Amino acid sequence: MRKVNQDRVPVRIKGMGDGLCVTLDPAQPLSHLQEELAIRFSQMKNLAVNARVIFDIGEKDGYEDLIEELGKFLRKTFGVGSVSRFLRDGPVSEEIIRKRDMENSWYHYQSDVLMLTGRVRSGQKVTARKHLLIMGDVNPGAEVLAGGDILIMGSLRGTAVAGQPDNDGMIVLALDFQPTQVQIGGFVAAGLPPSSKKLPEFAHVENGTIVVEDYLKADPFGRLPWPQVR
Amino acid sequence: MDGRIIVITSGKGGVGKTTATASIGAALALQRKRVAVIDMDIGLRNLDVVMGLENRIIFNVVDAVKGKCKLKQAAIKDRRIDDLFLIPASQSDNKNVLSPKDMVQFGEKLRREFDFVLMDCPAGIERGFENSVAAADEAVVVCTPEVSSVRDADRVIGLLYARSITPKLVVNRIIPEMVEKGDMLSHVDMVDVLSIELVGLVPMDDHVLISTNTGIPLVLQKKSKAGEAFQRIAMRINGATDLPIEVPQSQDRFWKKIGSKLGLGK
Ligand SMILES: Nc1ncnc2c1ncn2[C@@H]1O[C@H](COP(=O)(O)OP(=O)(O)OP(=O)(O)O)[C@@H](O)[C@H]1O
Ligand SMILES: [Mg+2]
Repeated sequence: MRKVNQDRVPVRIKGMGDGLCVTLDPAQPLSHLQEELAIRFSQMKNLAVNARVIFDIGEKDGYEDLIEELGKFLRKTFGVGSVSRFLRDGPVSEEIIRKRDMENSWYHYQSDVLMLTGRVRSGQKVTARKHLLIMGDVNPGAEVLAGGDILIMGSLRGTAVAGQPDNDGMIVLALDFQPTQVQIGGFVAAGLPPSSKKLPEFAHVENGTIVVEDYLKADPFGRLPWPQVR
Repeated sequence: MDGRIIVITSGKGGVGKTTATASIGAALALQRKRVAVIDMDIGLRNLDVVMGLENRIIFNVVDAVKGKCKLKQAAIKDRRIDDLFLIPASQSDNKNVLSPKDMVQFGEKLRREFDFVLMDCPAGIERGFENSVAAADEAVVVCTPEVSSVRDADRVIGLLYARSITPKLVVNRIIPEMVEKGDMLSHVDMVDVLSIELVGLVPMDDHVLISTNTGIPLVLQKKSKAGEAFQRIAMRINGATDLPIEVPQSQDRFWKKIGSKLGLGK
């Protein structure tokens, strides 16, 4: 029987943002790594379900097969969400990230968007931790709040508060933009002139004031050369 | 019997809930249904006055709910319409004497006794509203063409949906001349925001006041446009769902139409 080196802990897990960072020594045999992962992940119980797992194998290159194998194992056994590899900063990693993003790995990306369908009525309030997307209408007297952007696929006639508490870089977009009031970060725009155009318009902060523009004309994100996470 | 309990509500006050309750109730009774209208505006009763029955009140809804009298004793028969009964509010109590739980139990009794029970809900969304809605199977939201009324109706619609009740809309006090000039919200814009099923459009009509003063039900007044509208609403509630909605027209427009047919008025 092969003796495992005892001074090195082969697998370590720590929380990282909303994911789990798994540090491991890729030189260890696969079966041993699996055993170690199994012990630690079963201790976490439900916490592991849908978790984003990032493997950190230190400075080493390669080992793609190993990571894929372990990822498969964790998904199957513990129902974790996405599995990826921790990339150290450097000229290479930017390219790798971009390449990875453009290809199929979006599939495992877990989004922070709260997406709802239906009508938000007077007196009702919807709060999203990050971005908010509503396929429906927001009536006068209703309030929608978000830490990030607010996108209304319908008419916005109530109050929209984006970028809370202090992110001025967020937008409020609606296919029919008639809000009672818009706030972005620390800026407030009340008494916006009503537009009867029924055009997709959006509000954003420019030079310290909230500006409303035709979304298709301004095309604020069309200039970004490749898709990136917002 | 397995009656239907319908709450008539609005959020905002003075938009025509009591008028609608009395008129729809009378119209349903004229269609040979056994109908009870209940004044849930405890402490501010007025459905009895609108129906001209105030001098017959002995027991009231609080007595009936609390078991101080039998349901039959509290239900006052209308003077003109056979199958119509009023259960009046109590004038001295406060809305907190009843609870939603009491009302759910009371609702069971009502359903056994009547085909239709209309609850005249007080304005607001507090205890009186809770009590009126508790036993209801259905709801009619009355709204006038004013921004504030639409706002309150929308709030109430949200609260009704939260109780799994799908409400229907009546737009009351429409002045066609003003709508045509663009000085009054049109029902189309209101339905656009409220997005619930419309069951009727009721014009502003002096007969409403005449009816209150004389005690003659609106739906029995021959020339009342509002009375006609409430009759059609009652028919729709009673199952005639494909009865078209009539849009109130101004007298002006009526003559213009005839004029253009005759080749005049250019
Ligand atoms: N279609 C109409 N045409 C003319 N007057 C109307 C019409 N509908 C209601 N009214 C008048 O409006 C006033 C308020 O109506 P009503 O009492 O039915 O409203 P309500 O919603 O029950 O009010 P509250 O909230 O105080 O109970 C009354 O004076 C009534 O006569
Ligand atoms: Mg009333």
